[in-house]
Order: sequence, then structure tokens, then C-alpha cells
Amino acid sequence: MMRIFRISSTLCAILLITCSTALARPVPPLEGLEALRKVLAGITDFSADMTQEKKLSVMKRTLKMSGTVRFRKPDQFYMALNPPHATRMVLNDAVIEQANDRQEGHTRVVLPPEQGLKQWFSKLSVPVTSLPADFDISADLTNSLYTLKIAPRGTGQIREVGISFLADGTIKRMVIVERNGDKATMTFKNPRRNSGLTDRDFQLTP
Amino acid sequence: MKWLSLITIIIPVLLLPACSTSLPRLEFTPGASVETLSAAVSVSITSAEHGMSGSGFLVYRRPDRLHLIILSPFGTTLLEAFALGEQITLLYPSRSTAYVGRIDELPLTSGMHGWRFMRWVMDAEPAASNSISGTVERSGIQDMRESVTYENGLVARKKSQFGDQAFYSRYALLNGVPFASEVVLLTAGEQRIRLVLDEPEVNTPLEQAVFTPQLEGITILPLSDLRGL
Repeated sequence: MMRIFRISSTLCAILLITCSTALARPVPPLEGLEALRKVLAGITDFSADMTQEKKLSVMKRTLKMSGTVRFRKPDQFYMALNPPHATRMVLNDAVIEQANDRQEGHTRVVLPPEQGLKQWFSKLSVPVTSLPADFDISADLTNSLYTLKIAPRGTGQIREVGISFLADGTIKRMVIVERNGDKATMTFKNPRRNSGLTDRDFQLTP
Repeated sequence: MKWLSLITIIIPVLLLPACSTSLPRLEFTPGASVETLSAAVSVSITSAEHGMSGSGFLVYRRPDRLHLIILSPFGTTLLEAFALGEQITLLYPSRSTAYVGRIDELPLTSGMHGWRFMRWVMDAEPAASNSISGTVERSGIQDMRESVTYENGLVARKKSQFGDQAFYSRYALLNGVPFASEVVLLTAGEQRIRLVLDEPEVNTPLEQAVFTPQLEGITILPLSDLRGL
């Protein structure tokens, strides 16, 4: 379960980093990552509506969900899925809590401090000078839409994470492809930056 | 005091008919039952030691094949549970690990203990007619004694000889087959599992691959090694 949430926290960090992206031209991966870091510096909070589609490789079915995501520096993240799959998840630095709309099945996981959100963003406080050794990164640009693909090396669960965003920094889509061929696509709408989110926006209970 | 005694007798009697009509009267096809099921599912597991909630897919083929997929909030797969007869495989892709064994070997402290009842829970055929209401005692699957309460021919509640209970609600009719969209299991061990099924497809063909775990590159461990959810 710990590793599951470590992956969740990694994906969360990738998502948060890219939510604030604003690239104006095609760039090599290193420049792209550095640009993301610079843009992130201007963000205090972020929120958006979200739809999520899960396609299973062994079934001809797609699970569709919708909800909202929120982030506030330095270390708060919130995700809520709407009924019928109502689930809330709150990440406060290294503490993940999750429950459904009836507050059933309450889950609380404490990650090691080095895997907390604060740690992720402290790493981004200095310029990116080299690509992460354990990832293959590529980028392309179609009209004004950038697509950045990050593929962890090795045989872990995640084969590739793709992020699509506009040149103005609007995150459009995040695609996670798993080793078994399953694919999860999160599409974002109505992004809001620096809207003054408070602690109340990051509570597990509504 | 006599009035009080009278009231305590009358009120339950008045409430009884109301309880017995809480499930809808559906014009289902006699003998029709769920042979296969594919549905999105929201699941929550609550016990004294463990809690978990999430969404995913549930696929079932009567009598004893089941595949449950639980997703993370980001849509990645947290857990896949495959049940075939008495065998169960719990696959955790993030750990590249699967736990394999007999269902009755699920550790009591694993938080997955309640899943040993899933076959029993899925065995909820309607009565022969929608005019049947009441409770019957019978021998269920694996010769386990159980009491089954019908309302309008639909299974409203089951109780095992060991005190485990399953409650069925939010029935709808799919191709003539009555289908409960919400099932709550209360085990005698005080674990509570709630399943809410959405967009169900009943009695459609399902490929065998759906019920077969993909274990290439996966470390396989015995169920006794399972710790937590």
C-alpha cells in the first residue's frame, strides 16, 4: 500500500508541476523541465475541473469519472471524484487521506518525509541542470499544444506519463499508460490559478 | 403502562408491512438470474483495523469466477482480485507482486478477509415469482446454512449460519433480470464491505482472458504473506 501511495504521490507531483506550464516553443526535455520550474514559481494555488477515463486492456469498456483537483503551495493537494464514484483524497505533504462520500473506508498513509510534496518542490527551487537518470523524456508541439512524455525506465507499473498543455500554460490532459496496457486519461477544464485557496479547500470532509 | 405496552406491540406491527415493501415490485422473468456481470463499481471496506475506498470494475461469471479491479484516484490500478472457485489471486501491479492461495487462507488481519464471502454474496437469485415475500432457511453454496429474506421476489437480505449478513438494494431490471446496484456485506468479524455498481451489463459474453491474471514478471507469494490492503 505504501508503494501504491508513493506512486500516487509521484504522479501527483508530476501533475502539479505540469499544471502550471507555459512554454512558447518546442524545447529539448531539459529546457522544458526548467521552464516548468520557472512557471511554477509564479503559482501559489491551482484548481480545475477534471474528467477521467480508464480503458482496460482486457475489457472493451471505459470507466468515466469526473471531479475536481486543487493544489496550494507548499504541500497541499486535493482530489474529489463526483458520484457515483465519489471519493476524496487529500495529500498534506507526506500524509495521504482518502475516503468516499460517506466517509467509509477511511485510509490514512504516512509516507517517508523525503517523498512528501514539500520535498518535491524544494528540489525544484534550484534550476534543472540535468535530466533525471531514471526517465526517458520527449516533447512535441502541435499548433499551440505541447505534449511531454515521461517514461520511467525499468519494469515498474507505469510505462509512460504524457502531459498535454497549451503554450499559455493551460494544462489540457494527462495520460498514464500502465505496463499492462491499461490507460487512464485525465482531461482538465476551467483551470483557476492563484484564486486564494485556503485550508478549508483541502479537507477530507466536505 | 398498558398503553405503553400496547404501543410497543402495535408499532412494530405497523412497520412490518412498510419494511416488506421497501424493494420495488419488478416484472422479472421467472428463473432469470445474473449469469455474467460487468459493471463499474465503487467499493469501501471498513473494519476496526483497515479502511479502503475506491472505484473500479467488477466482472463476474456464475458460479465462481470474479475479477475486481480497484483504481487509484489517478486511474492507475491499485489492486486486481481474481477468484476462481476456491482459488484467489490478489495482484498489486505497483509492487509487481501477487498473492495466491485458497480463499479461506485470506489472513484475518489482511483487511481482505471479507472477500471470502463474495461468492456467497453474488449468489442472490430471485424467487420464482415477484409475489413472494418472507424469509426462508436453506442450504446455500458450499452447504452453508443461511436464511434469505425476499421482498417482492427479490433478495433483500441473507444471513449465514455464522452471522454474516448481506443486504441488497437499489434493484433495477436489466433484460428481464433483477439486479441489485448496492450490496452491503457485514461479516461476523465486523468488517463492512459496500459495493455500489454502476452501468451494469448483465448476461453479455465475457472472454476467458478477463478472468485470467497476467502474472509475467510478477513475484508470486502465498496469501499468508499478505499484510494489509
